[in-house]
Amino acid sequence: MGRIDVERVPYQDYSNRQLAAIPLAVLALALGIILIAYLVTGTPVALGFEFTGGTTVQFTAEDASTGDVRDVLEAEFDIESVRAIGFGSDYEVETQLEETAQLESVITDEYGDNAIQSIDTRSATFGSDTQQEALLGIIIAFVGMSVLVAAMFRALIPSVAVVASAFSDIVVPVALMNVFGIKLSLGAVAALLMIIGYSVDSDILLNNHVLRRRGDFYESAYQAMRTGISMTLTSLAAMTTMGIVSYYFGIDLLPEVALILVFGLATDLMNTYLLNMSLLRWYKYEGVKR
Amino acid sequence: MIDVRDNWRVLLLLGLCVLAALALFGPLGADAGETGLNESEQSFDDPTNLQYGLDLSGGTRIRGKLIGMTTEGVSISAEDQGSVERSIADELGLEGIDVTVRQRGQNSADVEVFNKSVTKSDFVDALSTVGVDITVDDIRDGVTGESRSAAVDTLSERIDKTGLGGSSVTTIGSATGGNFIDVEVPGEDRESVKELIGDAGRVQIIAGYPVESSNGTELRTEQVLTGEDFSSIAPAEPANEQNPAANVPVTLESQAGERYATVMQEGGFTSNGIGRCSFDAATHSGPQEGEWCLYTVVDGEYVYGASMSPDLAESINSGSFLTTPSFILQTGNFEEAQQLEINLRSGALPTELSIESASFISPSQAQQFKPLALLTAITAWITVAFVVYIWYRDVRVAVPMFLTATSEVFLLLGFAASFGMALDLSHIAGLIAVIGTGLDDLIIMADEILQRKERVETGRVFQSRFRKAFWIIAMAAGTTIIAMSPLAVLSLGDLQGFAIITIIGVLIGVGITRPAYGDVLRKLMLDDVKRS
Repeated sequence: MGRIDVERVPYQDYSNRQLAAIPLAVLALALGIILIAYLVTGTPVALGFEFTGGTTVQFTAEDASTGDVRDVLEAEFDIESVRAIGFGSDYEVETQLEETAQLESVITDEYGDNAIQSIDTRSATFGSDTQQEALLGIIIAFVGMSVLVAAMFRALIPSVAVVASAFSDIVVPVALMNVFGIKLSLGAVAALLMIIGYSVDSDILLNNHVLRRRGDFYESAYQAMRTGISMTLTSLAAMTTMGIVSYYFGIDLLPEVALILVFGLATDLMNTYLLNMSLLRWYKYEGVKR
Repeated sequence: MIDVRDNWRVLLLLGLCVLAALALFGPLGADAGETGLNESEQSFDDPTNLQYGLDLSGGTRIRGKLIGMTTEGVSISAEDQGSVERSIADELGLEGIDVTVRQRGQNSADVEVFNKSVTKSDFVDALSTVGVDITVDDIRDGVTGESRSAAVDTLSERIDKTGLGGSSVTTIGSATGGNFIDVEVPGEDRESVKELIGDAGRVQIIAGYPVESSNGTELRTEQVLTGEDFSSIAPAEPANEQNPAANVPVTLESQAGERYATVMQEGGFTSNGIGRCSFDAATHSGPQEGEWCLYTVVDGEYVYGASMSPDLAESINSGSFLTTPSFILQTGNFEEAQQLEINLRSGALPTELSIESASFISPSQAQQFKPLALLTAITAWITVAFVVYIWYRDVRVAVPMFLTATSEVFLLLGFAASFGMALDLSHIAGLIAVIGTGLDDLIIMADEILQRKERVETGRVFQSRFRKAFWIIAMAAGTTIIAMSPLAVLSLGDLQGFAIITIIGVLIGVGITRPAYGDVLRKLMLDDVKRS
């Protein structure tokens, strides 16, 4: 059977410390970025309108550039951002305003009666309720996952390895959102929760191979890696495609879900095969004896 | 010949796929229901029974909170209920309709105040005057469940009356304690929906007339009728030869009829006051001095002032009005008459709905998303097929894997169609997530079962490998479900669909499709053994 194999990584040549250093450094850097963002803005990541309240309007403006649209609207309103979306002449405008009748009428006067494609308004209090709920959702999901993992492996180090890499898999994408200026939306929250699922998949696979099977550590680890890397790369391919295609089509929600999952899956490759691997090796060779 | 005992999982999967196909394209789907869109507005012809939410069909979703505050379980005895209600309202300077005491037991009641200008400490003070001692901490924002469900009924009725099909009104609890009312109306824009649901819609008929007193002539206003006094309401009529104004013909309850007739006679409407009202809603905002007017007041706003007609005066004076207490409520134009009719029929909201979020997506845009989202999913699907083929370079592994992942999505869609789940973009994202985790699991199974290191001789080896692979899959599925379950329960709106689809998809995968793929792999494995 012509199964393509992944490269064997020469793990024997590196110490656990060396292996763990890279993911831990990345995690520290990510936490640093989030801390700075928190100190500067008051939130760990910039919040989208779903969490702050305000209005987003999407509309079609034929023969107008982003600059034109901004000029027209900024003359009269306090506008947060204007950006082009999709492949046509569609634009998205964000503002903190909650009363939008005037904004709507300026857009329809300028660009035609049917220009407005969609419009969303949220009050600030509703936004902050949503914030709390989203945070609660992520915490419950994470704690639930940790408890389940601990119950499955019934050993401290392997469970910590899974939970730690899941944690890092969430934190690094959040830091990357700060770097790339992506605001946290509900879609992003869904994506972060999906990352928990994906991250745990490959970690469980690795732990299971190493801990529950007889045979050489490196051989079991290699078997798990072959499967795990195929899995993650397949998902990465699917998400990259979904991201590019849906961005090009100007569909809501899907591009941000895809992008954040791409961040998370890439981080997961690093965390599973460097951080989790080194913890497991330490546990297998030294931890168990203690 | 296929051995049924060895392949029952595959056969089960095929059977379920047939059911899903029937649900999607045949008679097993849930009733399509009214989408609120004309045929001509459907730009994308959809051959399936799938139903689409606002993201994919267009329309308006509004989420709001009922304004008010509530204190629960205070000691008010059942006999005092009415008088307590009045004294609290007087104390707060509100009308009786703004305070509700709901008896919970002989000596226990919940008290609600529906007015945003009243503060919590005002409420505490007002309660202390009727002998109830509570602190500000005993008062919560929001209204009781009864008020909420009354509001939901009223709103659904209002929307139904306007003939907007496919709409829904529901209450949603949030984890932070508040309760929201969620209104979805396909195909309508925000302004018309806001207009329809934003107002409490309390109708009052107020008589305004001059009375002689020691200080000369002064204006007296008196509430004669409220929404509950009407026993039947006829459809609104536009202005015609008989009636120069648009109107709603109504009939009163007999008691209300008597009260009405008495006020009309004592106030002089049926004698001096006939035809003496020149109220114009465009310029006047309240009752007019020196005139005999019957004002139609909606949510405190004087929308019309009508004069007493000679015919009606005649029937009140002769007493024949009491046997058939009907008359017409006039309005400024036909649209107002229709609105008045809706308000009278559906009753008033217990309190104002403060709108917390409102979103609109134009039907043309939304329906454009449908084929585009489908195209996105298909592209992702082709990419995955390609990558899987690269890994295995063997169509015997890759094609069944691919078909299994596809059947998972197909079963999910069948599930959605048979339960009439309204699909939104978040569901599509969920479908794509299911393809992702599904393939992960299929790759685990293929690698686990097809490994060649050990000598494979019997089905028993397959069983043990299958069990090992399945254990990993089940654990991963468990964590995914745990991770998604808060979203499925919390009121994060858009994400609920995503979480529900993911959870159901994982369950279908672990329970049905992935075991079936195991059967396929066994066949492959045993073939390999024979050949080697």
